[in-house]
Amino acid sequence: MEIPLNAQYIRNMIMGAHATHDHIVHFYHLCALDWVDIVSALKADARATAKLAQSLSDWKRNSYQEIKGAQERLQALVDSGQLGIYGSGYWGHPAMKLSPEVNLLAATHYLQALEYQRNINRVVSILGSKTPHIQNVAVGGVANAINLDSPTALNMERLYYIKTIIDEVREFVEKVLLVDVAAVGAFYADWTTIGAGVTNYLSAPDMPLDTKGTIFELPGGYIPDGDISKFTPIKSFDDPYFEDNVQESIKHSWYDGDWTRHPYQEETVPHYTDFEDDGKYSWVKAPTFKGKPAQVGPLANVLCMFAAGHEPTIKYTTQVLDTVSALVKSKVGVGALHSTIGRIAARAVRCAVLFDTLDHQWHALVNNLAKGDMTIFNQPEFPSGIQEGFGFHEAPRGILSHWIVIENGKIKNYQAVVPSTWNAGPRNGRDELGPYEAALLGNPVADPEKPLEILRTIHSFDPCLACAIHLVDEEQNEIIRVKAL
Amino acid sequence: MAKRITIDPVTRIEGHLRIDCEVSGGKVTNAWSSGQMWRGFEVILQGRDPRDAWIFTQRFCGV
Repeated sequence: MEIPLNAQYIRNMIMGAHATHDHIVHFYHLCALDWVDIVSALKADARATAKLAQSLSDWKRNSYQEIKGAQERLQALVDSGQLGIYGSGYWGHPAMKLSPEVNLLAATHYLQALEYQRNINRVVSILGSKTPHIQNVAVGGVANAINLDSPTALNMERLYYIKTIIDEVREFVEKVLLVDVAAVGAFYADWTTIGAGVTNYLSAPDMPLDTKGTIFELPGGYIPDGDISKFTPIKSFDDPYFEDNVQESIKHSWYDGDWTRHPYQEETVPHYTDFEDDGKYSWVKAPTFKGKPAQVGPLANVLCMFAAGHEPTIKYTTQVLDTVSALVKSKVGVGALHSTIGRIAARAVRCAVLFDTLDHQWHALVNNLAKGDMTIFNQPEFPSGIQEGFGFHEAPRGILSHWIVIENGKIKNYQAVVPSTWNAGPRNGRDELGPYEAALLGNPVADPEKPLEILRTIHSFDPCLACAIHLVDEEQNEIIRVKAL
Repeated sequence: MAKRITIDPVTRIEGHLRIDCEVSGGKVTNAWSSGQMWRGFEVILQGRDPRDAWIFTQRFCGV
């Protein structure tokens, strides 16, 4: 079936705003504190920090006053005796290497990022009615009433408010996020050789520009063995190259039996066994593409878009790598992205790319409305008998696909192969490690009681970070509770 | 002898992630990633109208 253009553009803007919100929050609030020592920032010379900040970027909020203000807020938090969200971090860990001034710069932007992530999420709320769990989607389009002259529908005031937010947050991403990620990458250049893991990369094309879903603003596809010259694109929402090559295995998952099947043929019958190192040990199934595990997420997406010659991706990737190269005084190429720090850098690149996309989608919607097209929905039809179908989306954490078998208008089988299934999955039917597992092999661990380096690699995938992390050292039978960073 | 580290849980939404590592000589030598909760949506959706699936399945994820 076909989806009206207005619905495509509205969905695309929600996807773009949601993903950029995720990427900003992930870097500053969920992952940066694995690399940035907040306590050390208190010792920094705020004037030297401002000088450094202004040498890296012309961001309007890199003034001495902004940076000194951020330092005073942190000092007030420490003086209160309650570190709050900064409590029980791995401050002073030997793997923390940034100077107090760089730490203060990152801490200042951490606080500023709270404002920008909130603002870009407003776009999701305006178009999707609420966030999370938007309310405006319909099979066949969207449920956004459009009337440019009505105060109770999607109108020009709301559309220009969205444009204002996109422009404001875009400046933060280009002048702050991209620069900070490059700086952290340069100071931790040794982490470009750690954490590659599975280097088969899978991502979805996204941001459809036509009603049939055959033209996409952002390319996607498959790269085997980390070799971008072997990139194969996924071309449409019904491309058999994707549909025919996805399987899931339950050999090591808590489901009944031992099989590797295509999603249409799967079943979901739980069979819990407790944690067996060589047997079943996870509720997550192990997906494969063309029979092999695949890494998904912004790194996979950026590499596929780079391989496809997508110009904004090449531009922002080159910009980040050039900044890193200048800071470390040696040429750093795309190969450095196959790493823990590369996953973080690629997320920032994708965030910048998505702001180009958001701007395009906004103009496409407004221009289409200007033509007088207000269509938002086409009624779907469900013929009798059995239908099989699938849909995909390049979600913030990677390719998401849903698979459905419909019998006489009702769901017979439904399987979701989500990004975390690809990355967090256990060993597959051939006992090959999943991407999290493979990426951890060879990671340094300076202090097993403070496994900061393990968290760096796991967090680089953007999993859902814990409110509390409990550590159990079986040898010493000691339990350590570590609050989330 | 390798030391076993268990980090459980490492997540805050849609269930728990557990990571197990064996560490030897200051490096990780083996690793296991374990999802600690059953999702169950596949069973919930059976027999329902396909047009309702999206409103259920977006609850996989809170962000």
